[in-house]
Amino acid sequence: MRTLRLMGIGGALAYRALFNWTTPAMYTGTLLAGPTFQLLFFAYLGRQLQVADDRFFIVGNAVLAASTACVFGGTMAVANERRYGTLGHVLLSPRSRTVVFWGRVLPYAGNGLLIAAFTLLMGVLLLGLRIPASALPGLALALAAGSLACGFFGLTLGALGLRFRDVWVVSNVSAALLLLLTGVNVPRDGLPDWMITVGQLLPITHAAEAARLLAAGRGLDAAAPALGRELLVGAGYAVLAALLLKVFEAESRRRASLETL
Amino acid sequence: MRTLRTLLIGTVLRAKHLSRSPFEVAMALVIPLVQATLAVYLFRAGDEPHRLLEAAVGAGLMGVWASVLTGSGGAIQHQRFEGTLEIIMLTPRHPVLVILPLTAATAVTGCYALVATLLWGRLVYGIPIDLAHPLAFGAATLACIAGLGMFGLLLASTFVLLRNANALANPLDYPIWLLSGMLVPISVLPAWTAPIAAVLPTTWGARALREATVGGPVWPSIGICLALGTVCLVLGAVLLKSFERRARAAATLALA
Repeated sequence: MRTLRLMGIGGALAYRALFNWTTPAMYTGTLLAGPTFQLLFFAYLGRQLQVADDRFFIVGNAVLAASTACVFGGTMAVANERRYGTLGHVLLSPRSRTVVFWGRVLPYAGNGLLIAAFTLLMGVLLLGLRIPASALPGLALALAAGSLACGFFGLTLGALGLRFRDVWVVSNVSAALLLLLTGVNVPRDGLPDWMITVGQLLPITHAAEAARLLAAGRGLDAAAPALGRELLVGAGYAVLAALLLKVFEAESRRRASLETL
Repeated sequence: MRTLRTLLIGTVLRAKHLSRSPFEVAMALVIPLVQATLAVYLFRAGDEPHRLLEAAVGAGLMGVWASVLTGSGGAIQHQRFEGTLEIIMLTPRHPVLVILPLTAATAVTGCYALVATLLWGRLVYGIPIDLAHPLAFGAATLACIAGLGMFGLLLASTFVLLRNANALANPLDYPIWLLSGMLVPISVLPAWTAPIAAVLPTTWGARALREATVGGPVWPSIGICLALGTVCLVLGAVLLKSFERRARAAATLALA
């Protein structure tokens, strides 16, 4: 119970303190308007090139919409501690840092789910996508799995912030690569093999596949394998983030570079 | 002559400043190539390989706009963070002469995106750089730099008033890419977007580059791009002065 409390309350407090985009203007502009415009851009490009139908782009970009909050949120969860001079205090805590940092992913994942759902709604309202009502619970599950996996991916990038000073480069480039490699905007059979392989190891890829199956009315049974793979990818990043945080924390202490900016 | 010297030295200084930032350099190097790759695979998947050069040029221009937008939003915000915005506004020259180089420099450095996407397309995907009007392409590129730089000034002038300029700048990438027809032809967009697209310098800059690439009347598009850019410059200058006075009166100039 104490561990759950640490994850829940600790995560919520860290979200309020460290997430730069909580003001209404930043939240609306960056996290709601931005993904909606991205969805419209790719939907119209797809229509013009006749690469795929609207559903492909709307559902794919809705799942991807979670990545902005999650990738940058995960980075902020670690990098901003250093920026505000509080990283040392966190690392002095007697509680498990793995639990502390895993807890921080939860608000970002919840936020990502909200943004993804909003973007999907915009796709329905602006581009006339029709989704069977029976698919909605499964879709919510797919969006949640994608957001959670993306949150742990963001935390992994944030962990790199303990080693590399300019972690924003890593998160910006990673966010751009998600656009290309996850098959959200380009059908994966049109990509080279190595890009498909890398995409399999990234969050969003399998969640987008599951969400597309569900939006097409194929049911949870058809989407379950892809959903399972997405959760597996998320679990992989959770373990990787914990390992990197431990290794880089030890190295930062040894080199006395914990709070070097 | 003094004005031109101020603008030129300001632009070079800002470009040098940007080149010292690992973040700016890394973003400028990588993001345009990712966008170009995405565009190539999308156009290939759409069975339109004959338009790959057009796609590479469009992706490059997207990179120029992204650079201008980030630079315009960041120009004011960055000066605020550094505590130099008040000093800039205290200079005896008109504020536009100090802020325009900040946005023009981002258009100049953003041109790397255009060159990089064309070279990336040629070297990695074998897209021949077979321009219909090579000279006009150079002129269109210069017009784009000027037009986008002046458009950036108009945006930057509004950012003087806003504490969170990034909130406005962050979501403006895709709408301008879309409305200006950089990759998606304007004709496939809803009819109500046409008047908005028509008054954007980016639309005519993109059109000039596309016509120089595949053929068409380049010079009228260059002329309209520069004319609209000049309108943005005049508007930006007026707004900058007015917003600066309001920010001074409300004592919010340096508040981040």
